[in-house]
Amino acid sequence: MPLFGTLELPSAVASLPTLRNLDTEPWTLPKAEIVQMAFEVPRATHALLPKALHPAIPSYVTIWVTRYPESPIGPFLLAQLRLMARAGAHPRGFVLRAYASTREAATGLRERWGLPTETATVTLKRRHDRVMAQVIRDGATILDAALVDPQPISGGDVQYIHSVTLAQAPLDGKTAPWLVQVDPRFTFHKAERGRPDVSRLDGEAWGAPGLALQNPIACTACTCDTDLPRIRFVMDPEVPVVRGTRKIRDSREAE
Amino acid sequence: MKFGLFYEISVPRPWTRETERTVYMNALEQVKLADDLGFDQVWAVEHHFLEEYSHCPAPELFLTACAMVTKKIRVGHGIIVCVPEFNHPIKIAERTATLDILSGGRLEVGTGRSATWTELGGFRSDPDITKKSWDEFVRCLPKMWTQDTYSYQGEFWSMPERCIIPKVYQKPHPPMWVAVTSPGTELDAADRGLGSLGLTFGQFAEQEKRIAEYRRRIQLCDPVGDFVNDQVSTVNFLYCEEDDEKARATGRRMADAFNYLASQLISAREAYPSRSYPSLGLLPQLRRQATGPDSSEQAGEGLALGGPERIIRALKKWEAVGVDRVNFLLNTMEIIPQGDVLASLRLFAREVMPAFRDAKTVNGGAA
Repeated sequence: MPLFGTLELPSAVASLPTLRNLDTEPWTLPKAEIVQMAFEVPRATHALLPKALHPAIPSYVTIWVTRYPESPIGPFLLAQLRLMARAGAHPRGFVLRAYASTREAATGLRERWGLPTETATVTLKRRHDRVMAQVIRDGATILDAALVDPQPISGGDVQYIHSVTLAQAPLDGKTAPWLVQVDPRFTFHKAERGRPDVSRLDGEAWGAPGLALQNPIACTACTCDTDLPRIRFVMDPEVPVVRGTRKIRDSREAE
Repeated sequence: MKFGLFYEISVPRPWTRETERTVYMNALEQVKLADDLGFDQVWAVEHHFLEEYSHCPAPELFLTACAMVTKKIRVGHGIIVCVPEFNHPIKIAERTATLDILSGGRLEVGTGRSATWTELGGFRSDPDITKKSWDEFVRCLPKMWTQDTYSYQGEFWSMPERCIIPKVYQKPHPPMWVAVTSPGTELDAADRGLGSLGLTFGQFAEQEKRIAEYRRRIQLCDPVGDFVNDQVSTVNFLYCEEDDEKARATGRRMADAFNYLASQLISAREAYPSRSYPSLGLLPQLRRQATGPDSSEQAGEGLALGGPERIIRALKKWEAVGVDRVNFLLNTMEIIPQGDVLASLRLFAREVMPAFRDAKTVNGGAA
């Protein structure tokens, strides 16, 4: 069998977001601008991954910085660090930490989808030769990154991997840690690819103390219509997902 | 229809020097038996860093060992990665010619370009250019095998005039193939007069369409070699036992394990968006078959898992859609005990193979 994550769940429980319920209403998020950077990272990151998930081989992370110009709670920016993995046979990005530019967004994302989100200053700026992303928390820069030399590609060439969050969720009459699948749809309007350049990533602030970005893989900047849908699946974080998955609803639209 | 074996060399954890050796020795024993039983070919992949899924980075060594313990079975590279960081073209020409000599002219040469970030990233190869480098390599190889001297100036490699030795044993040269996973690659094969080495499982209807298009297209090809190889090969699982239900259950476990391991790979497209990899190849299909709604009886369409009668029916359908060769994966992670794998091969040879012998063979060459 493939390797599994080795996260000791008790050490993570205290800081987990808590979902209000599993009946989250979807958010429609048109014209989102997403910058994704992928880097290989050391195998020591297996310790950050719940035991239900398989690490990617090689281990790699994606940094996502997104501007949502329209949402049910107004415009906001969101930055995430995801450790890429497999839930059974399916590629997934396990969200280690996220920062939103507004308190409403941070609260909504924590309580509705279990994203481990705090508030920070998140910026995404475009120049002719680069797209720059920055996250500043309490006056300290915790992410300073850029997509360098963007070149047009087809949106059809971009594959965004769905996310998994770890959160306290009410199910069967009690609240307990669950992995929550977050599986947006994407309709691409524009896509570019470039070289990722990260000059600063504070691993501690992103839930990955000592994280060292290694081999850069690729970086994309896309404009697309997307969403945050209703929750369809949750998974026991301590059991392989082929045995520990619970279906909440059949389809994204179903009750 | 011809039958062969197909090896990924899947090694389960925990890895010890004995587990690695056992898997290789089991494979060699299977190949030796297959040769005795009348199987036509054995193929070995070239994969790197694909933990548990495939521990076969040096197929030329395994295939040489196969050739040394057998008499008739052909040995095939399935495939050689034609990307500069993986293999230098001169070394490919030299290695393959040597293997052709050692095997007494039993070599088949499959070509391809790798489809995982795990491998491409490991060699620091640029996914954008792998199709181009493959195209360049396959056009050079036949000339390097056959010309007295050779020189070349290309986009991805070059060499001054030299005599590349040894020359291949087969005349004019070994048959050439290309690995076909993504839709459309069969057309690349056809345009170059290369055999279609299919690496996807099941699904008659789609395969029939692709084979028909390949057959149509190859008639107008511009062959890269000295002859056109217009054969279509596909890969399948094999587990054959008299008890059909038991055989299907055992075989299904093997197939599920293979699909699950395959789905762990990081496809090039997953990590590195590129027009060079417009599709995810066979991974989505394998993922569905591993855990999705397709992991049902219907997903077993065309698989050679079960009793002899069931397997004959499945292979007859493959024959009807135009497949010339079927290569079988016999095990994954050593899930099936070696004795059962050997028994499965023997039963297949005794009960299934005769249903596919042509009149000439059945009549002992009198027809």
